[in-house]
Amino acid sequence: MAIIEIKDLRKTYKLGNERVHALKRINLTIEKGEICCVLGTSGSGKSTLLNMLAGLEKPTKGSVFIKGTEITKLSEKKLARFRQENLGFIFQSYNLLNQLTALENVAMPLMFKGMPRKRREKIAAKMLKSVSLDNRMKHKPSQMSGGQQQRVGIARAFVTKPSVIFADEPTGNLDSHTTEDVMKLMVEMCRKYNLTLVLVTHDLGISEYADKIVHIIDGEITSVEKNISKYDLEKVKVKIGERIEINEK
Amino acid sequence: MKIFDIIKMAFKNLWRRKGRTLLTVIGVVIGSCAVIVMISLGLGMNLAMDNMLASWGDLTAITIYNYSYGVSDESVALDDDAVESIKAIENVSYVIPRLRVESNMVTIAAGRSDRYRMDWAEIYGVDFSLLDKMGYTPETGEFPSEDEYSSTIIFGNETAYNFRDTRKRGDKQYTWKQYLSDGTYTLPFIDPQDEKILVAINNTKQQNDDGTYQYGGRGYEYELNCSAVLMQDPNWETVYSVLIDINVAKDIIDDYNRRNGVKDANDPQYTYVKVVCDDINDVEEVETQIEAMGFNCSSMADMRGEMKKTLGIIQLVLGCLAAISLFVAALSITNTMIMSIYERTKEIGIMKVLGCYVGNIRSAFLFEAGLIGLLGGIIGTVLSYAISIGMNYFGAGVMASLLGTSGDTPVSIIPLWLVLLALGFSTLIGLISGFVPANRAVKISALEAIKSE
Repeated sequence: MAIIEIKDLRKTYKLGNERVHALKRINLTIEKGEICCVLGTSGSGKSTLLNMLAGLEKPTKGSVFIKGTEITKLSEKKLARFRQENLGFIFQSYNLLNQLTALENVAMPLMFKGMPRKRREKIAAKMLKSVSLDNRMKHKPSQMSGGQQQRVGIARAFVTKPSVIFADEPTGNLDSHTTEDVMKLMVEMCRKYNLTLVLVTHDLGISEYADKIVHIIDGEITSVEKNISKYDLEKVKVKIGERIEINEK
Repeated sequence: MKIFDIIKMAFKNLWRRKGRTLLTVIGVVIGSCAVIVMISLGLGMNLAMDNMLASWGDLTAITIYNYSYGVSDESVALDDDAVESIKAIENVSYVIPRLRVESNMVTIAAGRSDRYRMDWAEIYGVDFSLLDKMGYTPETGEFPSEDEYSSTIIFGNETAYNFRDTRKRGDKQYTWKQYLSDGTYTLPFIDPQDEKILVAINNTKQQNDDGTYQYGGRGYEYELNCSAVLMQDPNWETVYSVLIDINVAKDIIDDYNRRNGVKDANDPQYTYVKVVCDDINDVEEVETQIEAMGFNCSSMADMRGEMKKTLGIIQLVLGCLAAISLFVAALSITNTMIMSIYERTKEIGIMKVLGCYVGNIRSAFLFEAGLIGLLGGIIGTVLSYAISIGMNYFGAGVMASLLGTSGDTPVSIIPLWLVLLALGFSTLIGLISGFVPANRAVKISALEAIKSE
């Protein structure tokens, strides 16, 4: 079942007198539970595409359907509600609120939904536990490493149990070792809750975790390839008895 | 978002920038304090003015003088008909006509063989049923009941000092009120309430050597009981006079005219009518209507109006000065909020992306701004009370000596409505000042905001 449908999506920017076509007629379908990686160099239009999917930017033409709702036509208020209910976000620079603790940061989307404090902090604590940060709940972002911060970010994205999670270069600021940890964590959580993940990156290594890799060059999709996620491969390897340790720190 | 969470967020944000919040609040404190103190001074001035005028006379009263009395009968007569039509004017609470018995018409005497005499008495005929309403209160004794009206005379608080002792010569005939070193004061020759008071008609053709007239005789004497001595009235009208019932006064005038052969005397006209209005603010309107009827009248309202105008200008100037400081405070709230929005651009962006309603963001910012206003208002009110107490303590004497009122008239008055008004107004100022910044926060593009550092 398709959870995201993109139809004839175009985005044109005006730079002075010049028209820049950031996206040219994008058509794409993403299935429920799929991990889709949009791979492209910087300036390829991949971030623009993500912004469009998340409803952060209005397209020049075309439409985006998520769970059958045409989000490109929603009012600001309805879009906010739609985000609360259905979307989760993970950012390259984590985008945590510095004055709040890890727990408060994770509980924030629930607060926007109007959930009482006790209940939302209970859920947030559970979420932090599942990203192995139960000993960091009262810490502020400045007291945590990049990897830890991004795990808080992941917990925040998953805490509302959304249908789709968007991740924009989620490992862009992390070293390769932490990158692997974070990627595994993200994929694991998606598999656990059967969520759809849309991942935008320029890093080939990261794309290996995806079920579907969409190559985008100069605002056009050049190819869509099916892939077997590295995460699943490793699981299979564990199952058939090969001794590969999965680092779950 | 729950309202509680919005409020908490606003409080947290204010607390996060304690220093700046404090400075902004101080701005509002100064502004609201200035406004409260200025208004309280204005209220104090008004009260002092009213007190001062009240010490001069009754503020709700209009006095009609009959200048045409005995001069021309073409002008409007201030008689019973006129009194009736004045009574019919709206907001007139009651009308007190007063008939003056000219002091050469009668002699008042008391004691055996008329030993004590008052030659030039000020006698007023008033409606005895209106004594209470005229503001008269007995100092001793009590007002007569209806069947006693025609046999009663009422003394002013110092009228008895006007009696002279005819058995004595020179200065010893007279007495006056004098305070003695032991705290008491001299008493008049007689206590009028112990004596029969004789009001006797003068015969102006029979003059004594000392310039007084012969008086009394069969049919020309009224023997009256003094039932009460009045407390001093605010208008000082009765201090040295006596009051008799208006019908007795009319009889006395008739008797005088008959005895002294005054022919074709006009029907008695009132020399003076006092009109009391329901409220101090009705006085002007009633006065205009009475003047339209052709009478000359005067009231404290004329003077009060003039003084109010002057005070109004002073208050306006003071108020403007205060308003300027509050306006500056409002600007500083706006400035603070704009600054804080710049600093929190990214935060607002993140909140928007994570699905926070823009309405919630706007509410949070408005609440913050309103809170600054309210806090400033509260502290400003407390401070104003302190200043007000200080001014009343140190300034009351100055004010009293300036206006000639009693020393306990406060310089500055802060009634509850002023406190509520100040709190409401400072909060409103905060909200208004926060309106533009809050809308600016709402308009921040989420996308730009998250990218910003």
